[in-house]
Amino acid sequence: MEFSRVALAAEDQAFQDDLRSFLGSIVTDEVIRHDRETGENFDEGVHLALGAQGYLTEYYNAEADGGFDALRMRIFELEIARSRAPWFHSGTTRMVAQALQQFASPELVAAVMPGVLAGHTRLCLGYTEPEGGSDVATCKTRAARDGAGWIINGSKMFTSNAQNAQYVFLITNTDADAPKHQSLTMFLVPMNSPGIEVQGIRTVDGDRTNITYYSEVRVDDKYRVGEVNGGWVVLRGALNAEHGTIDRDSQGLQKVSAMSEHVTLLAEAVDRIAGIVAEPDEDGDRLIDDESVKYRLGRSIARMEAALSTPDMFGRVANAQVMRDVTPDLMDILGSASALAVGTDGAADDGGAEFLFRLASPMGIYGGTLEVFRNMIAQHALGLGRPNYSPPR
Amino acid sequence: MDRFELRRLDYDLSADHVDLQAAYRQFFKTHCPIETVWAAQDSGFDKSLWERFCATGATTMALSEASGGDGATLVDLTLLAEEVGRSIAPLPWIDHVCATRLLDRLGVLDGDGAVSGERIVGMDPRLGGSSGRRLIPSGAVADDVVLREGDDIVLVSSDAKPTKVDNIGRLPMAWIDPRAADKRVVLASGPEALASHQRALDEWRLLMASALVGLVDATMTIAAEFAKSRYTLGVPISTLQGISHPLANIAVVVAGGRNLARRAAWFLDNEPAERPELAPSAFVYMAEEASRAATMAVQVQGGLGVSAEAASSAYLVRARGWPLAGGDPGCTAKYVADLVVARESRSGKGE
Repeated sequence: MEFSRVALAAEDQAFQDDLRSFLGSIVTDEVIRHDRETGENFDEGVHLALGAQGYLTEYYNAEADGGFDALRMRIFELEIARSRAPWFHSGTTRMVAQALQQFASPELVAAVMPGVLAGHTRLCLGYTEPEGGSDVATCKTRAARDGAGWIINGSKMFTSNAQNAQYVFLITNTDADAPKHQSLTMFLVPMNSPGIEVQGIRTVDGDRTNITYYSEVRVDDKYRVGEVNGGWVVLRGALNAEHGTIDRDSQGLQKVSAMSEHVTLLAEAVDRIAGIVAEPDEDGDRLIDDESVKYRLGRSIARMEAALSTPDMFGRVANAQVMRDVTPDLMDILGSASALAVGTDGAADDGGAEFLFRLASPMGIYGGTLEVFRNMIAQHALGLGRPNYSPPR
Repeated sequence: MDRFELRRLDYDLSADHVDLQAAYRQFFKTHCPIETVWAAQDSGFDKSLWERFCATGATTMALSEASGGDGATLVDLTLLAEEVGRSIAPLPWIDHVCATRLLDRLGVLDGDGAVSGERIVGMDPRLGGSSGRRLIPSGAVADDVVLREGDDIVLVSSDAKPTKVDNIGRLPMAWIDPRAADKRVVLASGPEALASHQRALDEWRLLMASALVGLVDATMTIAAEFAKSRYTLGVPISTLQGISHPLANIAVVVAGGRNLARRAAWFLDNEPAERPELAPSAFVYMAEEASRAATMAVQVQGGLGVSAEAASSAYLVRARGWPLAGGDPGCTAKYVADLVVARESRSGKGE
């Protein structure tokens, strides 16, 4: 058990200092404003600048292939978060890139990875379907043999960052008659293929995601990842990484659970609010002198610190749940002006709590819904068995 | 505070921790089955279990080596507290340990009796310095009780122990009026003494949080086992999401509350000025969640769960009553807010 500050060797200290100052120079107010307006969670300028400095190579590669060691990865993640760089989708590219290195042909890896490492090539996920929800194995997007290649028809939901991506990591059904886990095939489909349409969707937290449509999209077999009808294996490997259910190292240098970075945003808001409530207003009154304010703030802190401590799949649930539980109280404490969004005249906490309340709903849905994780906990931690569903009538 | 500070987040137990945990889990499994809990529920105390427990070093370990103890860390003590809670053992161990550690810090730990647990020392775990008659959770069995009156830290004892009052936590609880005690000694006064006393209240909240983690873990496990073997329309009820998802939520509470208590303990052990809000936070969180979870564990077992002979009902009443001994948990929530507001106001001015 260890929670001490990490003593850095001179070269790691220099790495942290250089990274922090570099991020400070490229993540400008304009970058943050643009990100807020578009909800893209991606900034090509920032991305390419990090690529040009070599940071992306180290971020995307495994440690054995010259990537960051555990310490530098942790420093990198913390400094990225500190800088507020639009970054969320870079993790998606990383996850897909690592799946490619495990499952794709050497030729495909050689064709795609240099662009990924330089930053020019981004990868997005095509798993969920408009009618499929979180069960990625219920896949209606079809890929049919056509000579040496394939023809794909279907649609995908929540294809986030597709508008900035060069490839989509697309799960398709290649055998309508087989059981669902033996019917899937994965492709890395070039986004410039004729027949792909990207339709933007804004979510309640201001983010942008997409529906993508695939009409008679022709793909060469070289873009297939893994075996024909062996897509479930590829998907599972990548899903484990997304869910944060892979083994963690034992040195305390990884985040405790998936989406803990969102709760770090909550922690920052709570800290700011703890400062705000102690400031006297024009009449000299302070919010904290209201005992109900003090109680609600203290309870919110307690629940937030519990979520920040909750590990693995348990933490995935705790993180979204605490955001939903405490942001209404935090807004109430600040009064009517917490109804105002960032940048609005007189917005309490400059809209911080207001944004987190809106973030709380999507964060319990994307990356696997809370129900998926409750199923996992019930089945794998408590041994309650697979969920039983009534047969359709 | 800097939420992006590079610190280790290592919750793993050491081999010694695992041994300690296993030893006490086995101790309670052997010596404190639910029948023992039931047998002691009128008095709230099992004397022979206490003596056996003390003989393992459970009280001495908590004290400094200079006072004849073994200098255990608070992290170590959270592991024991979790096992006390898991078995809902009728033992005033948390109160005794926090009280004797306070006496030790104040330099007034007198004689071997309190160190070994032969003399039981109780405490008033409520925040604040109100005077007058009060409910002491171990009052009916404690030989001495440490409490705060105004700016004084006081030790009171009586020739005859006060009468136990029945209570929902099945604690050996009694009313004590310091003004009417046969013996009343002011141990220390002033800001330093009060800070030392506050530390005892923080430790009590920390260990109570860990005990509630063990308690919730146990009643959740009992409910989960029940659900696996109970069938409706041909399927185990454990496979119904109306059952499994509430149980999964309890597993989230156990995992989070456990880790928060351990992190809080680590900071109190190693950097006590850095995160003082964590120990009371663990208490606020578990005090609220424990009775909610214990209620759900009863619900999962339906009519059998509410039976007075069901283990789940024994867990339910203690989940409610144990944290309540520390007063309104809302007062602790306000204390958490005070600590964080002080920190953030300070850091605002410093920058």
